[in-house]
Amino acid sequence: MSDLISPRERLLRALHKETVDRAPVICPGGMMNAAIVAVMEAGGNKLPTAHHDATQMTNLAYDVSTMTGFENFGIPFCMTIEAEVLGSAINYGTLECEPKIQKERFASAAEVIFPPADAFDDNNRVRAVASTIHTLSSRYADTPVIGSLTGPISTAASIVDPMTFLKQLRKDKDSSHRVISQVTDYLIHYAQLLVESGVDVISIADPTATGEILGPRMFDEYAVTYLNKLVDAIHAMGKPAIVHICGKMEAVKPSVSQLHGDALSVDAFVSLVKIKQEYPEITTMGNLSTILLEFGEAEKVESATDELKNKKIDILAPACGLSTSTPLKNISTFTAVAKNNG
Amino acid sequence: MQEILQRLSDAILAMDEDAAAQLAQEAIDAGLDPTEVIDSACLDGMERVGTLFEQEEYFIPELLSSADALYAALDVLRPHVHPSVAERQRALPRVVIGSIEGDTHDIGKNVVSLILSTGGCEVRDLGRDVPSTEFVRAAQDFAANIIAISTLMTTTMERVGTVIEALRKQGLRADYLVIVGGRPLSPTFARRIGADGYAETAAGALRLVRALTADPRPKRPGVGDLIVL
Repeated sequence: MSDLISPRERLLRALHKETVDRAPVICPGGMMNAAIVAVMEAGGNKLPTAHHDATQMTNLAYDVSTMTGFENFGIPFCMTIEAEVLGSAINYGTLECEPKIQKERFASAAEVIFPPADAFDDNNRVRAVASTIHTLSSRYADTPVIGSLTGPISTAASIVDPMTFLKQLRKDKDSSHRVISQVTDYLIHYAQLLVESGVDVISIADPTATGEILGPRMFDEYAVTYLNKLVDAIHAMGKPAIVHICGKMEAVKPSVSQLHGDALSVDAFVSLVKIKQEYPEITTMGNLSTILLEFGEAEKVESATDELKNKKIDILAPACGLSTSTPLKNISTFTAVAKNNG
Repeated sequence: MQEILQRLSDAILAMDEDAAAQLAQEAIDAGLDPTEVIDSACLDGMERVGTLFEQEEYFIPELLSSADALYAALDVLRPHVHPSVAERQRALPRVVIGSIEGDTHDIGKNVVSLILSTGGCEVRDLGRDVPSTEFVRAAQDFAANIIAISTLMTTTMERVGTVIEALRKQGLRADYLVIVGGRPLSPTFARRIGADGYAETAAGALRLVRALTADPRPKRPGVGDLIVL
């Protein structure tokens, strides 16, 4: 049976709260990317080269989408570009291991000095991402291109020593606000570059901005404020934004409902059904366990996917970062069951 | 508890570094035994912080700020501690802790490290992205009795077991208790890799260390006798 609408239209309709024939099944890239080893081995486009090289990045994003069945292109494949531009040392990882911050640039928020406003324009990896978005969006009009950003709190905690940073959220609010606010301005500029390159949706993951880490007061004061500043700016560019919040959510549920994102993506142990009941206006996204995807049997993946469909989750996606050793069969089972209308 | 000790405990709870340092000095000036001040006021303050953290009244920024107040008091008190206390410290649980190689997420590990240190353990924190060989080397060097391994990523969780393999290969498995924790891990996983203990939370990790090193020390748990907290 052929679908009546394209994956691109379906995702955009879901994000705009319009009716769809079924929930899209996506993997937005960034923290949540499906560049698993099996895909790279089969397609020959590999990390860590594809973190830098536009052609390999484009080809790998294409391989991921076609081999896994996820109904989007999702790039980049890491969460380190933002911190790299702002001065931190990056270890680009290996085929199996994602890039990571080797060393945060600054010891404390008070010490942060920012690069020129156009620093993102001059970064090679930013250019590779922009070029990939341009190529994919012009070649494949039916498949949505999602550009992933690291959120303001996580980016700030990637340029300032994270433990000091977390302490300063309480002790040095002025420096904390200054740093996170400026980080957000850079992220807005980066989002603008992605939009100009043809991105359809921006996805923001902010794994340091969790209720478990920050608690409700700091989550409100910092995470909600700056995530909304970023999302509002993306909306002003005419694009929808997905926000992923990691971790348990009990402590910050009312605050999460204040986020301006077009969809809320959550971890596996958060009940999206409860969120739907309490906040019917939220477009829910998620949340198939990545541990199940890595270690579970295909039959279990099938029943868990059916369960998400029965719960009428608006957009189906993995709950968190996928392990690079996740079996391809489990992912394709997830996407196939998600697409099956029967 | 004497009023000054209560106030010091309260200052730690209130995350007030200056007050904590000042009250510690006042306690010394009043002729109180610094060891007694540490054991009652400082540890009491941190225990109360730990309770609020477990109850989700305090979160990581508050926990770290309270620890700073604690350390401000300890900086004043420690130079006055009688040398015989060094003897006593040898009997404290000695823990090497780190996030496994490939994993640079260490907020959770840092919290566990902090709660263990402030809860009366001698801790050497190896940081993040730690290779299995480094866990073993550091445990020998530090004369640790416990190796604590953390990971936040499903990508790296399989490597947690390589520390235990490395201990076995070098014939050192019986010398250390291995405890594991982190978001993707579970008691089942801990059992499978042959760990001695698993804790879901940072406060649980402290209870776990205390249980594993209780005096009289329990017999090393056999395979499958995992302690879960």
